[in-house]
Amino acid sequence: MSSTKSRLRLAAGCVLAVSLSACGGVSSTKKSAVPVSNMVPAVVNAGPDNAYANGLFTTVSICVPGSSNCQTINGVLVDTGSFGLRLLSSVIPSALNSALPREKDSNGNTVVECAEFSDGITWGPVVTADVKISGEVASAIPVQVIGDPSFPTVPSGCSSAGAPEDTLAKLGTNGILGIGAFVLDGSPYYSCAGSSCEPATISTAQFVSNPVASFAKDNNGVIVELPAATSTTASLTGSVVFGIGTETNNALGNATVFTIDLKTGNFTTAFKNKTYASAGFLDTGSNGFFFLNSSTAGMPTCPSPANGFYCPASLTNLTATNTGANGTTGSVNFSVANADSLFSVPSAAVFPTLGGPLSGMFDWGLPFFYGRDVYVAIYGKEAPAGNGPYWAY
Amino acid sequence: MRYPYHFFVSELLKGAGVLCFAFFCSPVFAALGQDVSSVQADRAHMKAQISVLPGPAYSIHEMRSPAGITVREFVSPAGEVFGLWWQGPQIPDLRQLLGEHFDEYMQAAQNSPRISRRVVHIETGDLVFESGGHMKFFLGRAYLRSKLPDGASTDVIH
Repeated sequence: MSSTKSRLRLAAGCVLAVSLSACGGVSSTKKSAVPVSNMVPAVVNAGPDNAYANGLFTTVSICVPGSSNCQTINGVLVDTGSFGLRLLSSVIPSALNSALPREKDSNGNTVVECAEFSDGITWGPVVTADVKISGEVASAIPVQVIGDPSFPTVPSGCSSAGAPEDTLAKLGTNGILGIGAFVLDGSPYYSCAGSSCEPATISTAQFVSNPVASFAKDNNGVIVELPAATSTTASLTGSVVFGIGTETNNALGNATVFTIDLKTGNFTTAFKNKTYASAGFLDTGSNGFFFLNSSTAGMPTCPSPANGFYCPASLTNLTATNTGANGTTGSVNFSVANADSLFSVPSAAVFPTLGGPLSGMFDWGLPFFYGRDVYVAIYGKEAPAGNGPYWAY
Repeated sequence: MRYPYHFFVSELLKGAGVLCFAFFCSPVFAALGQDVSSVQADRAHMKAQISVLPGPAYSIHEMRSPAGITVREFVSPAGEVFGLWWQGPQIPDLRQLLGEHFDEYMQAAQNSPRISRRVVHIETGDLVFESGGHMKFFLGRAYLRSKLPDGASTDVIH
């Protein structure tokens, strides 16, 4: 644990040093021989639009497959609740964007994805790109370009699932790096002839997919390593490590393994005599602890406009219990503070005690990850302690 | 009459069990806050199987789409849809299910403070909308406070 902490401090220095590749060279303190090409710094801050609460951001590069025509893009959200890389077209130079091969269906029409998130959708064509993160490479994988000017009109069947988030102001991030425990997303795809788009069935090989699963090595999962956040601050720096048990810096160690349901991607969480069977999940892309409602949780929600968060009179300490599909059980202590008070702290973006109501499930968002190494093993991949999917911490 | 197309096709559905074409059904049918007959339009739109669980305080119409989305519509003794619940690997057609409340939802969702990727919690006077989950697992519900039947708490909508 102490070596993890010192590594994290060094990683923090790396971000300041700007050169991420140089960072890799100095950030290993566990052993001098540790290969660091499987680790990328990740920072919790307000993000590229300076508006995010509890968002974890990192840097990725995309290239025309097999070429050196590349672009490095920072401010990309690290999301264990989705699968696949999705980038705003506005952060991809137009010359590169037009050089990235568009996926086509069997009729030669362009494949466009309507990626669904709970809070909205991202609409845009699927391109093929080499995805490079630290020293890892996923060659020629499907990636979504969000808000591409070639497909400006979102079909009503797509916007029926939520509001389009196709600009930095709406998305709050330059892109979403979906590196959860599955390989393929389940979102609807469309076939577009010119600007005319119809729902389409495409082969799974064409689905936007988790880049980690396509890495040449270290492809069985990730570890999200963040230091503890004891108070509301402006930023918090940690790292994402690729692979589990594949290098000397990513051993499973004595982390407890919770396998997850193959269909829902969840485990079971029990809280206040309520059991969310296969409806509890760990998610770096959620920005708080979300659970129950005001009356059952015993905490008022905040007045509008922050009524999606809890506003207890004082810091409230709580405990919930997670149970994996494998029967492993463990309790987790967490605390919820008054969100209006948290949001009133100037320049703050790290909120370890942010919580809010949610019906029917228990969402362990990014605050859960503060002070933990959380392992995410990918479905069907061989990993220590058995095949994914599982979470371990 | 406020929703002429809606009633027109509802009558067709009731009378002859005519399947409605997506083109015909898409934008104009509402369920939330509407008459129970609108459930049939939702069922046809989702190409879903339906089962009805009657009860004294309310009845539940449950639909399951071929894509694996389950939608429950809660109908009061007065015959009005007062609540919705859904779960599945994709998000259901909220424009269809929320009907006239869809625009209200969209506006409120876009005006919510502090960006979150996962959780939507909206209370606009009468409409309460909650959704969350992650890719492959979406769950949510919506209800109208004014339409809750006597004796039914919001907890029944699950």
